Amino acid sequence: MKSLILMLLTLGVWAYSIDLSARDADHQHHDHSTSSDHKHDVPSTEASGAEVGQQDEKYQRFVSGLVGARVAIISVQGMVCDFCARGIEKTFKKTEGVIRVDVDLALGRVLVAYRANQTIEFEDIRTKITNNGQTAVGLEIVSV
Amino acid sequence: MGIIRGFVFGTFLMSLASVLEARPISYPGGSTVMLKQDRRVSSQYYHYSPSYKFSIGLENVNDQGSQEQFSQIRATYLTHRKNTAKSQRNFYVAMGLSPESSNHYFYGVHGDWESRRWYSGFSFLKKRVAGQRRDERYLQFGVAPYLGDYGDFHTWIMVKAKRSGFSQEWEVYPMLKFYQGDVLLEMGYSRNYQWDVHLMYRF
Repeated sequence: MKSLILMLLTLGVWAYSIDLSARDADHQHHDHSTSSDHKHDVPSTEASGAEVGQQDEKYQRFVSGLVGARVAIISVQGMVCDFCARGIEKTFKKTEGVIRVDVDLALGRVLVAYRANQTIEFEDIRTKITNNGQTAVGLEIVSV
Repeated sequence: MGIIRGFVFGTFLMSLASVLEARPISYPGGSTVMLKQDRRVSSQYYHYSPSYKFSIGLENVNDQGSQEQFSQIRATYLTHRKNTAKSQRNFYVAMGLSPESSNHYFYGVHGDWESRRWYSGFSFLKKRVAGQRRDERYLQFGVAPYLGDYGDFHTWIMVKAKRSGFSQEWEVYPMLKFYQGDVLLEMGYSRNYQWDVHLMYRF
């Protein structure tokens, strides 16, 4: 039993050190980004595709093939596992005007692609997220 | 034994500070089926969540200790949730009552604190089964050896310290938790419980 606990503690220290490295990398990423940094201060912003188009690979994959759409980039707190995010994904998939939904646990981000003529309101999004038990803290809307 | 006690006490303090457990409520409109099995008890449990704060369901319990099989209506209410960018903490109250007999019921609390890397949880249940008192409590601590993204296969390595309603002794044993999509499997092995298996499907 002692060896089991020792093994788990070692694993824990190792995992924690990886966490710290990831956090450092995350900070560096934010230091170099420009258009997205203010999104927690200003809940809802609108940006052009060119501004946000330089974002990460996952975002690029998400918008790949989308034409004449608007993408809501939602910052969500409390989304720590698949089970937390499942309800959010299902809710948005049932929403009228939604073309595509994706969840990024690492960035605490939900991407929702709407048809171009669809009205996107932060209050409506915040309500949907709150009703699933998480907290929406920021929104960026990008035309692609 | 001192190390084990220290570990259990440390985990308990962590639980009090940041509270933990295993998602007893689904998303609004979601249903969950759970199967639990150890040497003492097996159960099949279905619950429905009208909101993210509440679930209600029916559980069929086969209790080896009393050689009784009974069903009970169970309800869980989320009394507290704290979301942060990196973590979530929850505190629940739960109760169950058998419509067949007043000899079977339980009530109690459980909670959890979880990030993508760390997990800790506790549960304290006052139980009565076949007229006998079977209070049960556990503490659980876990670490994810790698961080999977949404939809990936997730793995957790955990330690569970459980005080059984049968023996009234604390037992510490390892557990593994796997999940992907809507399916979760948790299993561990201990001297008293032998295989402690928990399967969950959410839809």
